[in-house]
Amino acid sequence: MINRNLVKVLSFRYPIIAAIFLILAGGLVLLPKYEKQKGIAPQELLNKSTSPERYISTDQLADIIINQDPSYIFVDVRDEESFNKYTLPNAVNIPLKQLFDEDLVMYLNQDQFDVVLFSNDNFYADQAWILCNRLKYKNLHVLKGGLNEWYNTIINPPFPNENMPAQDFELFSARKAASMYFGVAYPEQAKKEVKAPIKTAPKKIVPVKKKKKMPVEGGC
Amino acid sequence: MNLENQNKHTYWNPYFGGFLFGLVIIFTFYMTGRGLGASGAMKSTVVAVVDTVAPTHAENNEYYSKFISEDKSPLDTWLIFEVIGVLLGAFISGGLSGRIGWRVQHSPKITSKRRLIFALIGGILFGLGAQIARGCTSGAALSGLAVLSTGGIITMLAIFGTAYLAAYFFRKNWI
Amino acid sequence: MGPLIPNGIIPIEWDSIIAILIGIAFGFILESSGFSSSRKLAGVFYGYDFAVLKVFFTAGIVALIGIYYMDYLGFLDVAQLYVHPTYLWGAIIGGVIMGVGFVAGGFCPGTSLCAVAIGKIDAIIYVLGIMIGVFIFSEFYPLFDELYTGSFLGNITLVDSLGVSPYWLIFIFAIIAIIAFVVADFVGKKIKKVFY
Repeated sequence: MINRNLVKVLSFRYPIIAAIFLILAGGLVLLPKYEKQKGIAPQELLNKSTSPERYISTDQLADIIINQDPSYIFVDVRDEESFNKYTLPNAVNIPLKQLFDEDLVMYLNQDQFDVVLFSNDNFYADQAWILCNRLKYKNLHVLKGGLNEWYNTIINPPFPNENMPAQDFELFSARKAASMYFGVAYPEQAKKEVKAPIKTAPKKIVPVKKKKKMPVEGGC
Repeated sequence: MNLENQNKHTYWNPYFGGFLFGLVIIFTFYMTGRGLGASGAMKSTVVAVVDTVAPTHAENNEYYSKFISEDKSPLDTWLIFEVIGVLLGAFISGGLSGRIGWRVQHSPKITSKRRLIFALIGGILFGLGAQIARGCTSGAALSGLAVLSTGGIITMLAIFGTAYLAAYFFRKNWI
Repeated sequence: MGPLIPNGIIPIEWDSIIAILIGIAFGFILESSGFSSSRKLAGVFYGYDFAVLKVFFTAGIVALIGIYYMDYLGFLDVAQLYVHPTYLWGAIIGGVIMGVGFVAGGFCPGTSLCAVAIGKIDAIIYVLGIMIGVFIFSEFYPLFDELYTGSFLGNITLVDSLGVSPYWLIFIFAIIAIIAFVVADFVGKKIKKVFY
């Protein structure tokens, strides 16, 4: 015996399916809309912000420069005038205003080198760091304290007091050696004169090819 | 003609088939970000054949050369693999329902020869049209519809609109 | 999230394997829906069998609704999907030529492949025809060049061209589809059955 009710319902199966269809389609219209978050998710940005890898200290930087580590790019985000006055050896100038210039963006949007951003302190560099992170650029670091800190620690390291621990003296001698490398003449320490660093041509960057979302020829 | 033999088509309910088909399209987009296709594979085949038979000619031709690269065979494309799958899938389905067999399907009012000639003409036209529109019913129309592509929907309307208009002239072949 | 392969969630090496699996599902469904029969396909133009219309529209609408729900829920980013480019005149003229080819040959490329798989000789001839068509196009490409590359409007969607929210478009499409199904059933009852 066939269930009569079932038969009755089944005879309406197409209208029922059609109704489900319309409800689903209508649901899309009625669902509340929200703006989609573009770029990196806020949580991920927070994780990156608090990561110790975000900052690089001046001592680390001095090490990198002296060892001529080829895997780093130094990006000066100050304006051109300041850049011409003084900058780190081999630095590239990308003023904050022109951060997304097409010719310059290849220094930032790549995954072969570590990028160190710096400005006078770390304020502008931090802003550049956040902007670039939003665009999912990789391997970005900020020079902690910027060029001021660089000057105070490496170029003109404070002489440790006699009652300070031994490691401070070690640090001082390391910094002193570093500053000599960067052209500070000792023992005329009072002079504090910094030779203009030799600017060599910035290294050749292989820009990351923007990952095409699809092969160009899709479909048929 | 043996009616029983002719009517071997206990096909699926079209809505059911369409529903599953829709799911496959969603899955395809979810996995690969692109739609289905068919005529692209035939284009690749033609390119591959021409490239093997007359490589210099293929390189000099403006159209073939778009699809030839040094490090990759023109056959190494997504659509070719998909089409291999289509052939397998259709073979499995046909095998399960006992529809496999060499035959020419045509209206009893026309001869096999006429059917084959029209199939050839239709194929040539479809091949030509699919290149001009950059896609066929699956690649342009259906995959286009699924992402609301303007070009795909225009192509779809053009195909079905023209087919209805032209249907009158070909009615002898079918009914 | 999705699409999975372009976003590197599934390694690119799987691309071909997934292509074959998708193809199998595609072919199986087409064949099981009766798309390997040219007379069934042609039925849609003479009103004795509306399987093409029903399958095609159902698939399109299901896919549309599904994709946009997945986009809404964050599984899939519609903006990353490949949108068939719009070359206005190419789309129209190509479509017109394909339309004639469809009625003349009774297949479209995808369905003809299904028919080839089950041994239909007319389908094999049809596929050869398609290849000849592609060959003709390529050999005389300079003739078609203007049509092929002209009137390019970009990879646009109806959302761009009409300025309507995609959700309304889907809703309208769903209504059109249902009306089409009702009309198709109505017409189908009137027209003399053709045995094929």
